[in-house]
Amino acid sequence: MTLEVSHVVGGYSQIPVLKDISFDVKDGELVGLIGLNGAGKSTTINHIIGLLTPFSGTISINGITIAENDQLYKQQIAYIPETPVLYPELTLREHIELTIMAYRLNQEEAWQKANELLKTFRLDNKLDWFPSNFSKGMRQKVMIVCAFITNANLFIIDEPFMGLDPLAKSDLLAEMDKKKRAGASILMTTHVLETAQQYCDRFVLLHDGQVRVEGTLKELHEAFPDSGESLNDIYLSLTKKAGQTE
Amino acid sequence: MKTLFSTRLSRHLRNMVKYLRLVFNDFFIFALMFLIGGLGYGYSIELQRLHANSWWAPLIVIVVAMISVQIGRLATLIESADSVFLLPREHDMHAYLVAGRRYSLWLAMVTQGLVWFVLLPFIRVTLTTNWMNIVGLLIIMVSQKDLILRRALANCYRYETPLIKRGWMIDWGWSLILFATAAYGGWVIAAGLAIAADLVFAVQTATTWAKHPIDWRAEIVREDSRMLSIYRFFNLFTDVPMLRGTIHRRSYLDGLFRRIPANQANTFRYLYARGLVRGTEFSGLIIRLTLIGLVILYFVRGLWLPVIFSALFVYLLGFQLLPYFSQFDDNVFTHIYPVANTEKLKNFQQVMRTILIVTGVLFVVMACIANLNWETPVVLTLVLGVEIWVMVQFYAPRRLARQKN
Repeated sequence: MTLEVSHVVGGYSQIPVLKDISFDVKDGELVGLIGLNGAGKSTTINHIIGLLTPFSGTISINGITIAENDQLYKQQIAYIPETPVLYPELTLREHIELTIMAYRLNQEEAWQKANELLKTFRLDNKLDWFPSNFSKGMRQKVMIVCAFITNANLFIIDEPFMGLDPLAKSDLLAEMDKKKRAGASILMTTHVLETAQQYCDRFVLLHDGQVRVEGTLKELHEAFPDSGESLNDIYLSLTKKAGQTE
Repeated sequence: MKTLFSTRLSRHLRNMVKYLRLVFNDFFIFALMFLIGGLGYGYSIELQRLHANSWWAPLIVIVVAMISVQIGRLATLIESADSVFLLPREHDMHAYLVAGRRYSLWLAMVTQGLVWFVLLPFIRVTLTTNWMNIVGLLIIMVSQKDLILRRALANCYRYETPLIKRGWMIDWGWSLILFATAAYGGWVIAAGLAIAADLVFAVQTATTWAKHPIDWRAEIVREDSRMLSIYRFFNLFTDVPMLRGTIHRRSYLDGLFRRIPANQANTFRYLYARGLVRGTEFSGLIIRLTLIGLVILYFVRGLWLPVIFSALFVYLLGFQLLPYFSQFDDNVFTHIYPVANTEKLKNFQQVMRTILIVTGVLFVVMACIANLNWETPVVLTLVLGVEIWVMVQFYAPRRLARQKN
């Protein structure tokens, strides 16, 4: 079991955004975290990557919590934020070098991986540029390269397809698949439900700070038989239902 | 559109007043009074040593006048969002820009008047000239500034005319012709030329601007850099939140980083060193403080004065560097790297130590040059060594820990 979130209550200030959420991501599994704007997806991610501390509940990666050993905990995570975050002072090559240093990667191996990824994402001729001047999609690709050269057990990918061209999108999905096969777990948030339906092994539907439902598409069908066929239909009917009961 | 400019102008002025109040604090006014008094006294002493009809006197007047007409850029107060929000009203922007030019001209006229006033005694002493000529000089300066601002206004539009696009022709070339004519050919001709050129340019552009689109991008960059230089000035005295500085690649300095080993323990050192060298914000601060310190050290002689000044400047530099510790804190990755916080502090101390030592060595070298004895440099080395050690080892960590809480 790679990531285990259990009974987490948390948020930015005193008011909890997340109200007792629990779910897990197993080894070699791609889990989609789905929810409307403001449902608590980003807050959940911020708790997992350690930017926020839960009021109560625990988050562990392979049995380690951040309180027990924060370096070992952080070592296991690779994160791709929704909006690319770059150092304006560093070139693309230096971003990769810094990642290698911070995660104690083997120079040669990491650069070999990096060069393959740079080639795939057509960045290999831009190593000495400042990526903060790149377009949104290209900056996103830099984040992808930096995340995928690590040996993380858990990849947290926030809205990965926004701003990516179709070719990059399919390349990213292929890379994610490779990591999955190697045994890593991936937690991905997205609004692109068709893609999520196609690629995710399981789904966690977040609504108003609570886990509405969790499971494979088949399990979701069984839980809500009259909601429709696609993930999109199930999701829409669930959120509507939730709105009515409130 | 005129109202838009006046609202922006009043907001801008309020902002400036806020900063000016911080700049002109009691201490600074006191220092400024001494400075002006001292400079004025020095000027009057120097004037007594001069005599009339030196061949170089008109040259000085020409150079000073030429530089003074460059002071004061066109203030448009244009913001980057304008290229989106005001684009549909591009045609009406002319009224806005004209209002901006008028404001800039008033400001510039004050500067011209001041420079002219300071030049007065010099002209009276060194040149045999009458009052008419001196008033003539002011007329030339003001009308030339008017022309320069007209060109700047025209340059907001996408004119392809070289005279408008390349500033040096009117700003420097024509100024040189005017002031040289005034000095050697007579002020009446020069004033006539200045006013005529100004009028011709005004008439020429009065109608043609409508046929050219506004060069939004260039104008936004220009206005940004103008505001940046204002803020940078204020930043010498107080913290300016708007000041973000710019990034330069400076690849010729890449060799400096070669000593930093590529391992996890040096992650933040890698980042701090590069950020420092490539950003203008902190590197500018270091260079400014070091240069000012060096200049002062050149003039200060003896044993204790240089030591006190150097110690003060090293302290100031170290103190001003402390905020750099959290420079990268808004980058989420600095929080999720599996690097211990103690490493970050250690790396920061290493970078801080390097900078302070380089500055300290420069100070000692300058003390050697200025004093030509061995006593001052030796004492200075000892004092600065202890000071840097205490600052980096004890002062910085405590101060940074306190900031965090």
